[in-house]
Amino acid sequence: MITSPVQDRRPATDIATVLECRGIRKSFPGVLALDGVDLSIRQGEIHAFVGQNGAGKSTLVKVLTGVYAPSGGTILVEGKPVRFASPADAEAAGIVIVHQDQQMVGQFDVTRNVFLGREIVSGGLLDFKTMRAETEAALSRVGASFPATALVRDLTVAQRALAAIAAALTRAPRILILDEPTASLSDAEAEQLFAILRGLKESGVTVIYISHYLDEIFDLVDRITVLRDGRLVSTHAVDETSRQAIIDSMVGRALSQLYPKEPIPLGETALTVDGLSQGRKVRDVSLSVRRGEILGIAGLVGAGRTELAMALMGAAPRNGLVQLHGQVSRPSSPRAAKADGFALIPEDRRHEGLVTELTVRENLSLPTISRFARLGWLNLRAERAWTAGLIERLKIVPPNPRQITRNLSGGNQQKIVIGRWLSGASKVFIFDEPTTGVDVGSKVEIYRQMTEVARAGAAVIFISSDFEELVGMCDRVAVMRKGHILETLPAEGLDVPQLMAIATSGEPADRADALEDEAAVGRRSLGALLTRWGTVIGMLVVLAAIGIAAPDFLAPKNVFDVIKQGSLLALIALGLTSALVAGGFDMSVGAVSQFAANLASGTIGGGLGMAAGIGLGVGEGFLAGLLNAGLVLLFRIPPFVATLGTMFVAMGLSLLYNHGQALTLYDQPKFFFIGQGYFGPIPFIAILLLIVVAILHMLFKHTRTGVRMYAVGENLAAAQLRGVSRPRAVLASFITAGIILGFAGTVLAAYSYGASALATGFDFLISALAAAFLGTSLSRTGELSVIGTAIAAIFLAGLANGLVLLGISNLALPGIQGLVLILSILLGVVHKRGIGQVLIF
Amino acid sequence: MSIDFAARSHDRLLSSLVEAFRAYGAILGMVAVFIVIALIKPSFGHVANIENVLRQCTVLLMMSLGLTLVLAMRGVDLCVAQTVDAAAIMSAGLLVHGAPTWLAFTAPLVLGVVIGLLNGLLTAYLGIPAIIATLGMMFVVRSGELIYTHGSDPQILFTLPDSTTQVFFFLGRHTIAGVPALIVLALIVFFAVYALATRTAFGRQARAVGFNVRAAYLAGIDTRRVFAAGFVVSGVCAAIAGVAMVSRTGIAMPRGAEPLLLDAFTAVYLGTLASRGGAMTIPGTLVGTLFVSFLSNGLTMLGLGAPFRFTLNGLFILLAMAVGALRRPH
Repeated sequence: MITSPVQDRRPATDIATVLECRGIRKSFPGVLALDGVDLSIRQGEIHAFVGQNGAGKSTLVKVLTGVYAPSGGTILVEGKPVRFASPADAEAAGIVIVHQDQQMVGQFDVTRNVFLGREIVSGGLLDFKTMRAETEAALSRVGASFPATALVRDLTVAQRALAAIAAALTRAPRILILDEPTASLSDAEAEQLFAILRGLKESGVTVIYISHYLDEIFDLVDRITVLRDGRLVSTHAVDETSRQAIIDSMVGRALSQLYPKEPIPLGETALTVDGLSQGRKVRDVSLSVRRGEILGIAGLVGAGRTELAMALMGAAPRNGLVQLHGQVSRPSSPRAAKADGFALIPEDRRHEGLVTELTVRENLSLPTISRFARLGWLNLRAERAWTAGLIERLKIVPPNPRQITRNLSGGNQQKIVIGRWLSGASKVFIFDEPTTGVDVGSKVEIYRQMTEVARAGAAVIFISSDFEELVGMCDRVAVMRKGHILETLPAEGLDVPQLMAIATSGEPADRADALEDEAAVGRRSLGALLTRWGTVIGMLVVLAAIGIAAPDFLAPKNVFDVIKQGSLLALIALGLTSALVAGGFDMSVGAVSQFAANLASGTIGGGLGMAAGIGLGVGEGFLAGLLNAGLVLLFRIPPFVATLGTMFVAMGLSLLYNHGQALTLYDQPKFFFIGQGYFGPIPFIAILLLIVVAILHMLFKHTRTGVRMYAVGENLAAAQLRGVSRPRAVLASFITAGIILGFAGTVLAAYSYGASALATGFDFLISALAAAFLGTSLSRTGELSVIGTAIAAIFLAGLANGLVLLGISNLALPGIQGLVLILSILLGVVHKRGIGQVLIF
Repeated sequence: MSIDFAARSHDRLLSSLVEAFRAYGAILGMVAVFIVIALIKPSFGHVANIENVLRQCTVLLMMSLGLTLVLAMRGVDLCVAQTVDAAAIMSAGLLVHGAPTWLAFTAPLVLGVVIGLLNGLLTAYLGIPAIIATLGMMFVVRSGELIYTHGSDPQILFTLPDSTTQVFFFLGRHTIAGVPALIVLALIVFFAVYALATRTAFGRQARAVGFNVRAAYLAGIDTRRVFAAGFVVSGVCAAIAGVAMVSRTGIAMPRGAEPLLLDAFTAVYLGTLASRGGAMTIPGTLVGTLFVSFLSNGLTMLGLGAPFRFTLNGLFILLAMAVGALRRPH
């Protein structure tokens, strides 16, 4: 099995080795992903890693870039052993990677994404001019047609790939690793990329290139390393090997593994698919499967196979005709597809297949639970009997129906996901990569179940990247690439290299596809316009309508009154916004400001002076922020609950401090000026608000800390890939929130001549929530924004004021505010079709 | 070897003790708190006091039960206390205006269903985050109450003639076989929600939606309907609690039950201490409710009022969650 690496015959002395691996091992619980990889990469070469899925390419790359720590072995960069604790370490050593489907922050523009984690700062502020110029330069280098200011979420998959490559180029890599960079690129874009890579090579950069497309590899690279089953099989210079030889070493010798394939007489056609398309992932797919037949779908990752499965299952919007035994199937959800007779065993069994917190029994009966219920009432005995039968039939270990499925082995987990569909009602089974991460014994069991359902007369679609099992198990195999089915071949007499050759061929990608995407970006529908400006227009219309009906509303004095009333709420809402940006939450905003108001009033009333009062109030806020951050980061308490606790504590401490009495202040004109004073016609509190807005806006939008806080809040995975630390961002966010809230509390004390005895913290919280969320619908990207929050708070104050002027009783006020809140959020979320779960718990 | 073996079994005993302490230590802690209070203030442990607290806590219990289902599905219902008030006002208002007693019992339940359906529509079908949707509904319901009561005029029942209210007050003030009718009702609601959560298809599907909505969706569960149904259950429970409240106190006014909202959250989160894995369960919420109610009663008896109650509630929530975090594997 072990093949010694083929040594290149040229003397190695004249070319320096830039990166070397010695005996790299990486094991995960139960799996040895890398087994003693010895590898050396030469300075200035383009070096390809090839291998089947699961061969260990991406694990190796993750070890090289500090994502994983190796379980054994050494990595040497220019002869010196290195140890990368994080991707940032690897980047510092000049190793830069572009991941396949690189995670990016959708709400950021290209510039911010490119520089996330290594922002250019001058004088404490982000230097957007320089960063934008560098980004533009890198984008034009990769031939991108979009500007550096484009939002990443508006880009197509191909454009994102280009942006990710541009981001890598700006990091001036010494070793550039590209993982499947051309999977989503058109031919023209791929050609441009190859030209860039050749240019980089000329300038001495080393490139490691991972791809499934052997044709482009043979055009581009100097040497090819083949990995198989976590081992390095061989390394070849490209001019000393052939396509066929590479395929042979990727595939290895035919294993003697037995596939329990049985000849099953095929019945009539069960499933017919005609011209099925799903976005740009599945294009014009037609196929048919007969009763008792197993149709394999071969293809590499990203070929559109999973999307095909999801489209058939009604989990993704689609076009085309699907018929099951002559009946048209047009499911709007997996539930409808289930009723039509479809059964799906999803690819990602831990996240899409199992509910890992539920037991074996509960998982087995999940789709068919209503069969065991009469008028909703479960017949647990029937369910128990049925699942016990399945556990025995599938040989699930341990055979305990009450076992939580989280800790079962991959094979047993997969058996459960298959077993739940074995109630006999399903006519089409879609197995999506059922044997990845599964031990050999369970694999055979899974094949056997597949044969069983086929024998029972079901049609089976078997999606796999393991071409050997497809040849071993299927009646026919369809090969998919870039969304198309290229060929459908009888499995009889088919061999793996033949399949591999088709799946990896570099057939021209549709030129029309690329054009289509360009058009999609250019399109700006009326709907998008409404989503962007709807709330603003709505607010203006409301205010104008009130102004026409009650002319006093727009009188300058009233306008300044509204601003004064709104400013206080705005300050508290800004505190909440600060806590929300890094993905946190803050139930304690009202209570913390109220406690600060009490402390400030008590201190000033006690004759200790204004400075002490303000200082104490702000200090309390700071401590509350620190406490919240500590609870969330150290004890991993969900922010909602952690701050709920802090809220109670702050409310209690306020009442302990003021003994249930209002702390009313007299004769403090200087202090009262903060809340009640005017500069000419302008309320002082409004000026304070402007200053706080300006400071926060600078912090959030123009400093490194701010950008990172947003990145963590919007897309944690992307932020962490760029080496951004979540704890720091969360800490900064809660502390900013605390300081703002403490300050808001002291302003509250000045505004209301002291602190009230009532615990009104909860009312403040609710108004602040309304303002912060309403504010999100004002910003271009629907993100939390300081300016949006402030405007929304003043709008809410204006709405209340205007409705009163209109003679609408303040009894109806809360209701109208509630409706405004719901409607404003509705505009932004209705097209997303989520179910409104709150993920912050 | 034998020493080694003995040491190992000793270790095992120790670790299972530690395990048991982790699982149930918090409950022991709760009981210890009460023992301390009873030692300082013996009347705390008297039957009359206990019965009084049990009767009082029924309203909180019933609204917390529905809230538990919603929270366990990763939703949130901020509207729940407002629903209690609305149901109470409706019930009392109907009686004041001479409606038959049966209508005063049932109409509020319909109101609870309607509020729940609206919450479910806004969240599950329109996709508005539950925290915003139920907050908005809370404002709308509050406005409805204010308008109906012309700005917080309480709906007073005890000035009505006995003949109209006798049957209605039975629930709040009388006993069935020696047990207060309120407690009987609360137990019925408790067992009904418990059965719903553990013995019905809905309960099973709700757990799947709470843990992994994507997997539930792909397994062919109608995740929207299940999520929405949670809000309906919550609305109905709150409405029952509202009727029970007004039947006990004889008076209903807007925002009367609002302070209970935070207590309900506290009860649910403290209840997670009572389950092994730190999950939200219906019996856990019962434990949490009892703890919150007895603690507040005990503190009042010790002469320690709201400030201590708030502070301790907060500290106990944080303690519960911190213990839960330590229990979870990394």
